[in-house]
Amino acid sequence: MNESIVYLLKTENSTFVKASLFDQVTDDHLAMWNNEWVPVMKKHAGDLKLKDAPEDSHWNWKKKLAQVEHLLSYQSFALVCEGVLQGLMIVSNVRSAKIQEQFGKPVVYVEFVSTAPWNRAEINKPVKYRGVGRVFILAAIESSREMGYGGRVGLHSLPQAERFYENKCGFKRLGPESTHQNLCYFEMTSSQADLFCQNMK
Amino acid sequence: MKLNYPKEWYEKSALIEGDDEIGAGAPPVDWCAREDEGGIESRIALGQFVELWRRDKGWNAERLASEAGIDTVEVLELEKDPRHEPEPDAVYKLSKVFGVSSRKMMELAGLVQNRNPYLREEAIRFAAQASPLSKLTDVEQQSLEAFVSALTLTN
Repeated sequence: MNESIVYLLKTENSTFVKASLFDQVTDDHLAMWNNEWVPVMKKHAGDLKLKDAPEDSHWNWKKKLAQVEHLLSYQSFALVCEGVLQGLMIVSNVRSAKIQEQFGKPVVYVEFVSTAPWNRAEINKPVKYRGVGRVFILAAIESSREMGYGGRVGLHSLPQAERFYENKCGFKRLGPESTHQNLCYFEMTSSQADLFCQNMK
Repeated sequence: MKLNYPKEWYEKSALIEGDDEIGAGAPPVDWCAREDEGGIESRIALGQFVELWRRDKGWNAERLASEAGIDTVEVLELEKDPRHEPEPDAVYKLSKVFGVSSRKMMELAGLVQNRNPYLREEAIRFAAQASPLSKLTDVEQQSLEAFVSALTLTN
């Protein structure tokens, strides 16, 4: 398991604090998810009608990880800052690109990505840390490069996050797909990945 | 995979990100269950049904799990956490122990599409009347028997 040092913006005092990105989710990370995220998410979602609750509020990361942990084509990531789990991601490397200019070429596909409830403006304003989403996209791009996929990345965005992927990361929107509950598919080309890594988008 | 980017990269990146939501991924079963706003009520009823049924038998959760061939944790989560998405296999095995329709148990658990609008009404009525006391009251006993009938009927 590799650990990368990254930085998140702590809004409480507007400072950048060190965080660790692990390229494998461990039982310790899942325990943090269960003990720290779940109670906050349940409390928040419990006060809302189901249709108004965060779209990923019912995700069970333990089950998701159990389904893929023995498969070589999947990789999981955990982001920890100041001893607390801030985000989780699972990617796979068996999907193909859909944008015409790279159609059929392999992509790293973001199966699932979430940030901790206290990093969501919908639940906790001001959010505790900023920057979790782009750290994960950077990790997906670097994984894609390591695989020889040139930084190509694809994902199905939850409705509330579409703006982030299109405007803040530079993904190309390809539209909703009925095979994925009509979630919108987004894809990044190698050149878009280069721009992302230069913080040009 | 190891990231080797300077601190400045993350500083600029966090400012670009702002407070945007970042969730991605098409969740399979649980997402469909959430579309049904009756899902939680049905699962509350399912949890109370499981608890009352075993208490009526004088079983603890461990005994019920053993009889069904499932984990004790699964029984406890079913009883206590209506947001818990039960394993289809566990619901099926429990329905066999209870002697009720596995299809209707699956509907209550939100694992298959609800085909019977009356089942939800029946479940809410049951959930409202049953309360987790240590011993079944006469009302709970009658309520449990009526709900078992509703779950057993074939239509």
